[in-house]
Amino acid sequence: MNAKKARLAEIVGPDHVIDDPGIGESFTLDRTVRPAKRPSFKVRPKTVEQVREIVLWANETLTPLVPVSSGAPHLRGDTLPSVPEAVIVDLAGMKRILKIDRRNRLALLEPGVTYSQLQPELQKEGLRVIMPLLPRANKSVIASLLEREPPMSPRYQWNLLEPLRSLEIVWGNGDRFYSGSGTFRGEREEDWQQGLVPVQGPGPGQLDFYKFVSAAQGSMGIVTWASVKCEVHPEFRKLFLVPGERLADLIDFTYRLLRFRFGDELFLVNDACLAYILAQDEDKAVSLRNSLPPWTAVVGITGGQVLPREKVQARQQDIQELAQQSGLTLASALRGCHEGELQALLLNASAEPYWKLRYKGGAQEIFFLSTLDRAAGYVATMQAAAGEQQYPISDIGIYVQPVHQGVGCHCEFILPFDRGSQAESVRTEALFRDASHRLFGQKAFFSRPYGIWADMVYGADERTKMVTQKVKDIFDPNHLLNPGKLCF
Amino acid sequence: MALPKEVYKALKDIVGSENISDDPALLDSYRYSLAHTAIHLGPYYDTFTPRGAAVLLPGSTGEVQAIVRLCNEHKIKFKASSTFWSAQGYPSEDDTIQLDMRRMDRILEIDERNMFAVVEPGVIGATLQAEAMKVGLNTHIAGSGCSCSVLAGATSYFGSGPSNLYGGWHYENLLGAEWVMPTGDLFRIGSLGSGCGWFCGEGPGPSMRGIARGFLGAKGAMGVFTKCAIKLFAWPGPESLPVEGTVPAYRVSLPDNFRAYTVAFPSWKAWADAAYLIWDTGIGYLAHRQFNMFGRELKYAMVKILTDPSKTLGDLEELLEDPEVQRVTEASKRDFQIVLAGMTPRDLAWQERAFDEILARTAGWKVEAMNQPDVADWSLLYLLRLGHKNLNLVFGGSYDGCFGLLGTADYGTTHVEESGQLKKEWEEQGAVVQAGGDCTMGPIGGQGGGGTCLWENFTCFDPYERESVEGTRALFDAATKLGLARGWGVGMEKWNAQCRGPDGRTTPKEERDRIHLSAPQPSVFRYQHKIRRAFNPNDLGDAYYETLDDEAD
Repeated sequence: MNAKKARLAEIVGPDHVIDDPGIGESFTLDRTVRPAKRPSFKVRPKTVEQVREIVLWANETLTPLVPVSSGAPHLRGDTLPSVPEAVIVDLAGMKRILKIDRRNRLALLEPGVTYSQLQPELQKEGLRVIMPLLPRANKSVIASLLEREPPMSPRYQWNLLEPLRSLEIVWGNGDRFYSGSGTFRGEREEDWQQGLVPVQGPGPGQLDFYKFVSAAQGSMGIVTWASVKCEVHPEFRKLFLVPGERLADLIDFTYRLLRFRFGDELFLVNDACLAYILAQDEDKAVSLRNSLPPWTAVVGITGGQVLPREKVQARQQDIQELAQQSGLTLASALRGCHEGELQALLLNASAEPYWKLRYKGGAQEIFFLSTLDRAAGYVATMQAAAGEQQYPISDIGIYVQPVHQGVGCHCEFILPFDRGSQAESVRTEALFRDASHRLFGQKAFFSRPYGIWADMVYGADERTKMVTQKVKDIFDPNHLLNPGKLCF
Repeated sequence: MALPKEVYKALKDIVGSENISDDPALLDSYRYSLAHTAIHLGPYYDTFTPRGAAVLLPGSTGEVQAIVRLCNEHKIKFKASSTFWSAQGYPSEDDTIQLDMRRMDRILEIDERNMFAVVEPGVIGATLQAEAMKVGLNTHIAGSGCSCSVLAGATSYFGSGPSNLYGGWHYENLLGAEWVMPTGDLFRIGSLGSGCGWFCGEGPGPSMRGIARGFLGAKGAMGVFTKCAIKLFAWPGPESLPVEGTVPAYRVSLPDNFRAYTVAFPSWKAWADAAYLIWDTGIGYLAHRQFNMFGRELKYAMVKILTDPSKTLGDLEELLEDPEVQRVTEASKRDFQIVLAGMTPRDLAWQERAFDEILARTAGWKVEAMNQPDVADWSLLYLLRLGHKNLNLVFGGSYDGCFGLLGTADYGTTHVEESGQLKKEWEEQGAVVQAGGDCTMGPIGGQGGGGTCLWENFTCFDPYERESVEGTRALFDAATKLGLARGWGVGMEKWNAQCRGPDGRTTPKEERDRIHLSAPQPSVFRYQHKIRRAFNPNDLGDAYYETLDDEAD
């Protein structure tokens, strides 16, 4: 038996070492843009001790590791090895919900826990976790939070990493570490009773350790549990749709809601994006796209712990007035979309196939952060680039998600394409490259730089690159965690 | 030791002759008495921070970079401070160059729609708040008060205060930042580095904001922050605070969408229940316990003095004999203050109903004497602006905090009586000023949206009397001993004891190592050591950046 395989089998057991696992099916252009290398093995650890042993072994043998927590399809190329003979560390089997603490609204999760697994368990305790827009059913909660995917509810984001709190991390050097107040990891029930709980995200001390593993694509450390701040599961909630002819028509209204923190879920979508969310197949997507308004603001209102119905009523009236002041109307239904139908979708993970892939089987994303007042300019740039590349503008799904209580927003363009068509793949890739550079030139902040974006942002910001590399040298001195990504 | 002449001249060439001095008299004005509010070490009688080698007032980022590069060239330590809050703003080693950042005091931008401001180090909370209110926004003001630098709280120390609950603490509000690193290199953090503006402090990729500050900042020991963006939040009040009254009874009467209540509870369990319900329901603009710093046995009598300009401290004893004062004092032992701010009339009405329901569920009550208009308006101004920090000093001349139980509401309320009782016993022994026993104070919501509290027990003492200073230190030693015995850990009274010792200078390495090795996770300080080595290779800061090297074991 291969010596590497034998040692890995000793660590995780022979049934949890998979030979030549391949690189899986690609639904995006990442493999075209950056060819992946076949990994040697995939290992499936079950405990932090096993993870630590794998990392220490990797340091002894200088074997690259690529951590993965979520199931396929992977859309951004971050889990595809960039170097040969890597070992995939598949954390999907670590799927215990270690604790749900109703009083402190905390959940302690392993990396394999998915949104579809977590939400029903939280609901039993009267809690929920704020979610990104329709995550894959097999999407790891921790991976989503670590990658700073924007939640639909900006009002709860006092900082950009919320609702992530304390972590247990195995750094690339093999050191096991607790960030935030993670030393209170709740191994003793009496600690939870006394309120000694992992509630803090920052620190400890004068470094902010959990920030080093955020948006790191698994290149700094492997997180083996995280505490997540939860919200009260509302007994009463409503969802409203606010149609607009142009994105600019909805911007002032959205700013007003953000100013007052009115609205729970709050985001903007164009007709194509909303159609992809609602439709189950290509034909339905096309017919919906043609019937929906060009733009829709989606506004959810939820009651809290006390007097929830009264709160929702007051909010509804206030939001209605704000909409009127902006010349807009709150609607429960649009042609082709009813709030009940949409709400049911938004409260759950995406049904299969994943919503971004339903229209054409493949999709390339372009996303970045900016401020809401610039969003319309990015849409114009994207549409101009699409026109030049002869990509159908009507196919572009656009999702604008306010973040960090409205200080910024996530702008996302979804470019569906037929993976079986060479011509569509080439055209979409050309648009992806061209638009990415144009948008960056227009002050789009590619804060999560996957694939080609990494060269773009680090090439333009040498100091951040140097600082990031120095920090990497400290926590992963042999550069074994997901080498070839970001600026490593 | 004086700076070599050529170094002094080079520094003078950078900032201009009017912005540099090595006059001993002036340098002594940049020293700090450790008998005063040393935060959080000592206090030490008749002890001062070391005299600097020179004081410089840089006027731009470029000047700061040039100074820092020169310091690296000549291996001279430097320490920048914006508003010099407590001993940590001052050097702990001889011959350090002090940078007084007060000339860089511009608000560079207030982005009204995206709710953030860009400030230089010399901008204080009161100034930013006044400008933000003109456009319907507000800024979080840290517990150190509105005369302190916004940038310093956000980048370099802690930044927690009464408006954590709705506004978020400064940690959460720090966006892009401009940092002259300890080598003199300029690091633009977050979106700023990509040329995309100030709105985001994270990324690209792994957030390097994490080396700028963690739970705490580097306290001036790791370079100089020259600009930062700070997140603001809604201010549903007038364009300026209509302050009325006579010192110290300043108050503000605001429109009907504000309420300032003092509420109290029959037990600490009920107090904690109310805090959790407030957080779960999502109401409140500000919330704090015992904001006026006087302990539970004095606080209402002191409010009577502080809200009535005709009264003085000489009236205190008589007031304490007043049956009405005694009744209110007894009724508000387990209290806190909360400000509700309605973004609309409906919002306020709902918050009020929800708050009444929370009081009903927890058997809490509004302390009516504190909710009379004059007192409520005084409380409202106090909490909104935190402009009354001078009152911390009126009773004894100085103060510092002990315990600092940081955690959930359940955690603090479980131990508040025991910690308060220890302090009361020491007050009765005589050295510590009798300031009302339980002076445990802190925000209801240690972070945005709540979830934690920080229970700092304030202690008043006379900094000009050796017995009082040393008695206070003895109390703090006893607090540490109790904290360790109870498993609470070392309290705030020693937060900076590993940085600066009784002589006002850097704590000896052996002692620092001993303290860091006894921490729950010593590797925190080992990683900080590696970060310092990587980014501050000439070690030109001081021990306020806490490190543990590989040799320490």
